[in-house]
Amino acid sequence: MADFNVNLRGVGSVSVIDVKGYLDAHTAPELENVFNKLLDGRQYKVVVNFNELKYISSAGLGVFMAYVETMRENMGDIKFSNMKENVYNIFDLLGFPILYEFYNEEHEAVQKFNN
Amino acid sequence: MNNQIKNFARSRGLENAILVSILLFLFNLIFPLHDSTLLAIINEILVFLTVFFLFNYIHQFLKSKVDSPLTLVLNGGILAALIFFIVSISKAILGSPDNNKGVGFFNSIFSILLIFVFIGSVDYIFSTFRELFFLRQKKDPKMFFNTMLVFFTLSYFSNIFLLFDSTFDYARDAFYVVTIVLIFLNSLRVAWIAFLPKKQKYYLLIISVVLSILYGLNFAMIGDNNVMRKIIFTFSPGLHTLINLVMIYGSIYLGIIFFTTLFHLPTAEAFDSKSEEVSSLMDLTKLITQVFDFKELAQTITSITTRVCNSDSAWLITKRGKNIELSSVHKIGFVDADRITNNLLGTGENDYDTIEIIQYDLMNQNPKGNEQIYKSIAIAPLKVHGKINGYLFAARYRENDFDQDEKKSVQAFADYAAVALENAKLIEESIEKERLEKELDVARDIQKKILPNTIPCSDELKISALFVPAFEVGGDYYDFFELGNDCLGFVVADVSGKGISSAFIMAEVKGVFESLSKIISNPRELLIKVNDTLKGSLDKKNFVTAIYGIINKKSGILNFARAGHTPILLCSGEKIDRLQPAGVGLALDYSPGFASSLKEMEIQLKNNDIILCYSDGITEAKNNKEEDFGYERLESLVLKNRDKNLDSISNEIMKELSLFSRNHSQHDDITLVIFKWNKNN
Repeated sequence: MADFNVNLRGVGSVSVIDVKGYLDAHTAPELENVFNKLLDGRQYKVVVNFNELKYISSAGLGVFMAYVETMRENMGDIKFSNMKENVYNIFDLLGFPILYEFYNEEHEAVQKFNN
Repeated sequence: MNNQIKNFARSRGLENAILVSILLFLFNLIFPLHDSTLLAIINEILVFLTVFFLFNYIHQFLKSKVDSPLTLVLNGGILAALIFFIVSISKAILGSPDNNKGVGFFNSIFSILLIFVFIGSVDYIFSTFRELFFLRQKKDPKMFFNTMLVFFTLSYFSNIFLLFDSTFDYARDAFYVVTIVLIFLNSLRVAWIAFLPKKQKYYLLIISVVLSILYGLNFAMIGDNNVMRKIIFTFSPGLHTLINLVMIYGSIYLGIIFFTTLFHLPTAEAFDSKSEEVSSLMDLTKLITQVFDFKELAQTITSITTRVCNSDSAWLITKRGKNIELSSVHKIGFVDADRITNNLLGTGENDYDTIEIIQYDLMNQNPKGNEQIYKSIAIAPLKVHGKINGYLFAARYRENDFDQDEKKSVQAFADYAAVALENAKLIEESIEKERLEKELDVARDIQKKILPNTIPCSDELKISALFVPAFEVGGDYYDFFELGNDCLGFVVADVSGKGISSAFIMAEVKGVFESLSKIISNPRELLIKVNDTLKGSLDKKNFVTAIYGIINKKSGILNFARAGHTPILLCSGEKIDRLQPAGVGLALDYSPGFASSLKEMEIQLKNNDIILCYSDGITEAKNNKEEDFGYERLESLVLKNRDKNLDSISNEIMKELSLFSRNHSQHDDITLVIFKWNKNN
């Protein structure tokens, strides 16, 4: 079974989620838990660092879609950074770059929130 | 040989008995007086055969009554009373034996009939003793009984020897005494008494003493010098001996029964409760395999616990995590049971790992009003695999504590409840699993019905479509629409997610495309409209990727728009291109941004151009190194096989794909739609 890891850390007022491994229908609930925790703590500014993510399925994409609206309604957002090319291609195919902000480096995304 | 005789005697029991009886009857009509030795011997043998065959028949017939020994005793007793009655009446009416010397025809018939009554009664009584003898015997006591039978026979025939030599009577007496000793020994086999319920034991005590006396009286009267003795004795001395012996047997046997029953009385109650416990446990075992409703079983368990463990109330609780639920109560209210349970269990977890007896009245010093307080309560855990799933309570008002045996049986019932609870859980799970599998079947069915049965085809435009469902139903969909004006519309779509929900979304998407394709003839506008229509009907997490295109079959112009779907591959000559006009997946964005980002593409097809539409089930198929099949492999396959017909191209692609992912299960639907343009423009 492909494994998946998720880690949450704070960089100033921004929450950074590190995702690692394979994000699919089986592992998506783990990521959902993290987002629920953020909502409970009223943390709406989120950067997802994809540096170590190897694969994402449509169910994995669904997680971001489920939460982005709430974040945006509360003056926050979900921004993506450090994405590998193969993962970016999947986002790109679906037209995500029109809906989400993608950054090469995590600090750029964090910077964007702080401005 | 021996068995053959046995079988013959048994299978024809009734016929044999009747036959010999008739013979005996006729013989005695013809020769009312047995004045010669030969006649006497023949008569003795005939009587013996009658007795023997009748006994054989009756003993077969009695086999069915073995379950109620008391009935056997009573039946024998009634016949004994009949004999007593006949002897007494004959004594009163006929007077002293010396008066009656007539051997008239009617006298003969009368005495023969009387003899038959005696033979029947004695046979029946003896049979009942035989059945009782074999009842509840652990070892096979046949030997003892058969020895006794042999001595009965010897005693019978010893009378014949007397006819030759009257000094021979010591032999008769010897046989007689030995028979009585054997009777006494055999009478000691009365194990069946122990298994009678208490009530029946009391009953047996009374009838056994009465019957013992009755048999004794019969023996005395028949042995005495009266008219009945004379009739029997003149008819057959052997029979007289036999009747005497059976009466002695009855007297001894019932006497022994009386004393045995008397000694069994003190333990009768304990024996009753033990046997009830055993039979309750057996009933429960049966119930567990038959009843799937745990509540129903819990009812039975609490009521049996109350009865068998001599408690005044019982109740059963089940535990799920920290939630405690009263499953059933017996002879106690829900409120009381709940209150006592809370008192006993408190907040502590796993308090009672093994059965414990609580002195409840000591715990609870201040009863409200005149409420009756339980003196002791037994708590037994419902334990399976070391995990406690609940408790069984048995409570008692009385002073005396639960003894060791009662504790054991409360725990036994708790164990049964634990197993039943586990069973119920497993059954629930398997029903749930079955339900899910059915759901999957429904989803597959929907998917099958949604896809087109026939693929449109013409000389200019050849089409091949292939669909391979994954085990978990996905949401791939393709369709073709004849639009008139030589235009063919087509859609290839993929609903995110799996299972029945995506199958339903797919059905909805099909409906939307089918109706909108008739109204809107521009692919981009159509996809925008589809996106609007889907608003509100999809979950936030779900989306649909799609390509909608229109091919003009006259001009070979392809117009299409792409909403997040995998790019179209266009193979033209030795060149292959990914056509990926911008476009966001359907249901991802309902803002005007969707429309403004969606681009349309127009292509003029050339002769032998191949167009490939497919789902990500192909490009994202994995091998055991978790690598994607990817676009390059797909593209080079198309290039390599471009001159073959369309079905061969799909076959080659599928072959390569299954080789690539042979150690990996297919986790997404695969759709492959290929067009080929065959016309020089």
